[in-house]
Amino acid sequence: MELAHMAAALTIESASFNTPWTPGMFAEELAQDDRVWLVAIDAGELLGYGGIMLAPDGAHVMNIAVAASARRQGTARALMMALAREAAGRGARRMTLEVRATNTAALELYRGLGFDSLGVRPGYYDDTGEDAVIMWADVARLTAIAAAREGIDVILAIETSCDETAASVMRGGSETLSSVVATQVDFHARFGGVVPEIASRKHTEAIVGVVDEALEQAGLGFGDLDAVAVTYGPGLIGALVVGVAYAKGLSLATGLPLVGVNHLEGHIFANRLADPELTTPLIALVVSGGHTSLIHVPEWGEYHTLGSTLDDAAGEAFDKVAKLLGLGYPGGPAISRLAEQGDPAAIPFPRAMLHSGDYDFSLSGLKTAVLTYVRHEQAAGREIDIPNLAASFQAAVIDVQVAKAVRAAEEYGVRDFCLGGGVAANTALREALRVALAARGVRLSVPPFSLCTDNAAMIASAAHFRLRNGGFLGLDAEATASLPLG
Amino acid sequence: MAISLKGAIASRTEAETIALGGMLAPLLEPDDVIALSGDLGAGKTCLTKGVASGLGVVEHVTSPTFNIMLEHHGRLTLYHFDLYRLERADQLEDIDFFAALEAGGACIIEWGERFPERMPEDYLAVEISIAEDDTRHFTLVAYGPRGDRLANAWLATAEAGRVAP
Repeated sequence: MELAHMAAALTIESASFNTPWTPGMFAEELAQDDRVWLVAIDAGELLGYGGIMLAPDGAHVMNIAVAASARRQGTARALMMALAREAAGRGARRMTLEVRATNTAALELYRGLGFDSLGVRPGYYDDTGEDAVIMWADVARLTAIAAAREGIDVILAIETSCDETAASVMRGGSETLSSVVATQVDFHARFGGVVPEIASRKHTEAIVGVVDEALEQAGLGFGDLDAVAVTYGPGLIGALVVGVAYAKGLSLATGLPLVGVNHLEGHIFANRLADPELTTPLIALVVSGGHTSLIHVPEWGEYHTLGSTLDDAAGEAFDKVAKLLGLGYPGGPAISRLAEQGDPAAIPFPRAMLHSGDYDFSLSGLKTAVLTYVRHEQAAGREIDIPNLAASFQAAVIDVQVAKAVRAAEEYGVRDFCLGGGVAANTALREALRVALAARGVRLSVPPFSLCTDNAAMIASAAHFRLRNGGFLGLDAEATASLPLG
Repeated sequence: MAISLKGAIASRTEAETIALGGMLAPLLEPDDVIALSGDLGAGKTCLTKGVASGLGVVEHVTSPTFNIMLEHHGRLTLYHFDLYRLERADQLEDIDFFAALEAGGACIIEWGERFPERMPEDYLAVEISIAEDDTRHFTLVAYGPRGDRLANAWLATAEAGRVAP
């Protein structure tokens, strides 16, 4: 801001405040070294201005105003973000301001930008005797939010909710600069029957190397990042705490803001990464060894869990039935392969909760029904047709999943449906869902397998959206094994 | 105290198994440990649902196979373990198993028989078998005085429950 802007600024000033600044006050401000004043100009016309004072404890906002004709267009937001960048560039770590307690529009704007109320200064304004609300914000958080809204934020995301130690660096929520997954057991060996390593110690050993690798592949260092994101639930508590502790430590050491992501939210964003055309509102079905959840997403960042399993997850049911049939554990993929050669109508297994009227699932009873069938056949001396049994079991699982998926899509009137999680690899489930949804004009989105299984790219993408809305995780937050979504 | 076979309780349906768990719940005290064994589909998680419900746990008790341990909050905190996916006894340290045993809640451990030498000194084991007619038999084996008292009280309640209308 320069003296040449003064005339236009005084017009905005007197239209905006009961006790406007005088020309002398502006002139005095602009002359001082520890001040930064910025203007918003469009086609030569002054739309607004704002200034900060740099003090040892941070940057203080002296004044900010926008012409009435330019309000509600993001001018104040852009000015504040530019001031935050200036503050950050001059080493300020926090930003403070005062606002009239009755100015709800301004209070709302500042909260939306990432400011929190720190306290009240009673009777601060001489003209009316009104209280001033003192607000403050972490400068790194403000600049991170600003970067996310411009789509240029660089996020390092960490995922350790189960067996995989993963890290990813992403720009703007969709440009994957790197995605590293340290699978603790080779995928093929794992499905050959090796029990996955669950030890949190393995995450501890892997995490530093995985993060270094992710940064190296992206060609970036910690100084290039805007935020650190981490999965803080749901999952194995011993595994989650490793990622959360690492991310918190990194945030504390670097001053980078911390963003917490729900693992299931990550699976939904895996679809968005693979399919940028995907639009809300949508319904997502996340099915894996640990989760079976049907989620309504009215818009990105907003979630309503419609239902989930009351006992076993779908992937777990496949694995356990494989075990019953002597196919090893986990053996879900083996069941699916055998099912291709069998008759899905051969054995009438129960369709649990098909008509329950809600969106919950129950798979434990089906597992018991398979066990009972096997025992009775064996007792009667009959040989079990394994492909028929696998196909009939799989059909019982799929029928209920599809029925509830279709009902949710219809009830919420969506045109897009996302399938996520490791069980999304099951082609019979994918095909049944695709056909049933297409008949109702609903498009099914399934990410490539590398994005169906656990990874950190999906966490980074979800974090970008949280960041845009100023959703941060405090350093006092804890990993939560049964973190709800929505 | 020696290991002692206390007796058995039969259940014909899932509802009966849940009710049986509900009878055990009020008898539980801080640091009690119950080990459940039996094939997949025998009713281990089903019995645990009954215990949780009796402890006043509101949320659904889902299978802990994937998570290894799930915690539920009721009159006592219920630590529900499934050790099926563990390969070696030293992994019990990684999942905070020993801390949970002494955390002042009640522990239910599925597949604890995989690591018999790591089980606590005093607990109650429940071995579930499936009869020809699909009836589940819950055989109680006490491993110590507390397990013994718990088994006696549970058997008495179950017996009384059976004659009630």
